[in-house]
Amino acid sequence: MTERLLHVDSVTVRFGGLVALDNVSVDIARGTIHAVIGPNGAGKSTLLNVVTGLYRASEGDVTFEEESLSGRAPHLITRQGIARTFQNTELFGEMTALDNVVVALDSRYACNGISAALHDGRWRASEAEARGEARELLALVGLSEDQDSAAAALPFGKQRRLEIARALATQPKLLLLDEPAAGLRAAEIEALNRVLLDLRTNHGLTILVIDHVMALVMAISDRISVLNFGRKIAEGVPEEVRASPEVIEAYLGKKAAHAFSA
Amino acid sequence: MAGRALIVAIAVAAFFIAPHALAEFHLFQICLVAGTALVVLGLIVVTGFAGQISLAQAAFVALGGYGSAILAARWGIPLWAGVPIVSIGAFVVGFVLGQMTLRVSGHYLALVTLAVTAIVQIALIYSDNVTGGAAGMPVPAFEIFGLTLSTGGQLYYVIVPATAMLFLAVHHLNHSHYGRALAAIRQSETAAELMGLNVLRYKAAAFGASGFLGAFGGGLLAPLSTYLDPAQFGITQSVYFLAVAVVGGMMSPLGALVGSIVFVLLPDFLQAFQTYLGLVFALLLLGFIVLRPEGLAGLRLPKGIVAALPRLGGERR
Repeated sequence: MTERLLHVDSVTVRFGGLVALDNVSVDIARGTIHAVIGPNGAGKSTLLNVVTGLYRASEGDVTFEEESLSGRAPHLITRQGIARTFQNTELFGEMTALDNVVVALDSRYACNGISAALHDGRWRASEAEARGEARELLALVGLSEDQDSAAAALPFGKQRRLEIARALATQPKLLLLDEPAAGLRAAEIEALNRVLLDLRTNHGLTILVIDHVMALVMAISDRISVLNFGRKIAEGVPEEVRASPEVIEAYLGKKAAHAFSA
Repeated sequence: MAGRALIVAIAVAAFFIAPHALAEFHLFQICLVAGTALVVLGLIVVTGFAGQISLAQAAFVALGGYGSAILAARWGIPLWAGVPIVSIGAFVVGFVLGQMTLRVSGHYLALVTLAVTAIVQIALIYSDNVTGGAAGMPVPAFEIFGLTLSTGGQLYYVIVPATAMLFLAVHHLNHSHYGRALAAIRQSETAAELMGLNVLRYKAAAFGASGFLGAFGGGLLAPLSTYLDPAQFGITQSVYFLAVAVVGGMMSPLGALVGSIVFVLLPDFLQAFQTYLGLVFALLLLGFIVLRPEGLAGLRLPKGIVAALPRLGGERR
């Protein structure tokens, strides 16, 4: 049994009368790629928002490295080692690709205010160091050529990878990806798959990915959880999930499920 | 680098030649421009860089003017020490006010900061034993190294270098992680937060900086005008500073300087229209909001001039 990094413990989220997540428990093992799939409105993004502290769970708890995250501010959860990307990309559009990454490095490299006001030697050293690391991160996701382009001017596939580089800059142990493959072409999905597998295998990162693009999820996930209407309906390795009648029903409807099982 | 050194040399030479070449009245106007620019610079930090609307700037100016004058009149603390002390106090007040941004934003933040200006003005009027009430109070002379500076030509040697240094500091901070963080917060607060930035603290610091610069500007303008009257520090004055920032340009420190030059010098050119001055300013503001939201500092200069002005405009993001 591998060590669990993130433990979502019977989390329920209600918005007024609507139950977005209903008593959901998920364990993410360290060093794995774990996918959460499900139809639109199944509560996938809500799950990410609870983990990152943007939403508060109505019931239940989330622990990270066996420490409870409930009630903690989002920026503190990030510093704890959880980073994320966004479904519709939330880049700092007017800033260059490089600066987008440097912003995320600042909480580690930033010097004091007086050095910054004077632009003295210490400031120049910290700035150069941060820029150097930002360039390395851009290279890791294949964006070295684009470091001086405004983030908003990049094509969508590159914006996605820039978001990953920016998330990596916070030095996460757990990377959360919200539909990273939505709107990408097949070749772009393959490039993304390679980046994600490289991060897991060579950089020891744990990744929680939310998506419904099967080409991505089935190819790279070690384990898959399936949500439907806020409930977890299945969990297992990709082959198990693919064969599960509940999953086929959720995705394709009851009749199809009967057809498959027949 | 050589170009930069040349510009600094020219600026220093101009600074020492100006008092001999210009009339007392013009030096007074330069001081007025510099003080106003400092106040508006604070507004540019909080509203332009951090994206938080503030109408509290007149209150900070009042704090700087009255605060340093009272320190000098009651406790004998000279203005050269009193102005920085009061400005640091205003930073703290601004920082606390900035905590408000956790709960309110947009129109509501405008209203809250407007209320701060109104409250400070009323407090000045009703604390007549310290502030002189509605009648106002005289400002003690600016004394430093045994010299007494009272005219524009004399205060010039204090106001202009102080303003230049604070402008440089703000320019540098804007091109450090502080400026980057504020730009990030302005563009996506959620993303900034999830990159580990303490968003509330940065916004509060921006409000603190607006308080510091407003009070510093107010503290320097007070001995120039020699008299403080609570009527100078009302809501209209806050709107006036906002208008200067909009016309000058919100996104660069240069905007504060350009806007202040326009608003200080324009009345002299329009002496014939003195009655309609408010209307002229209002039309100017409206025109810029509709036609040139990036202000005068956002105008594109010809390429040759831009190349000769390394890192002055400071428009990186």
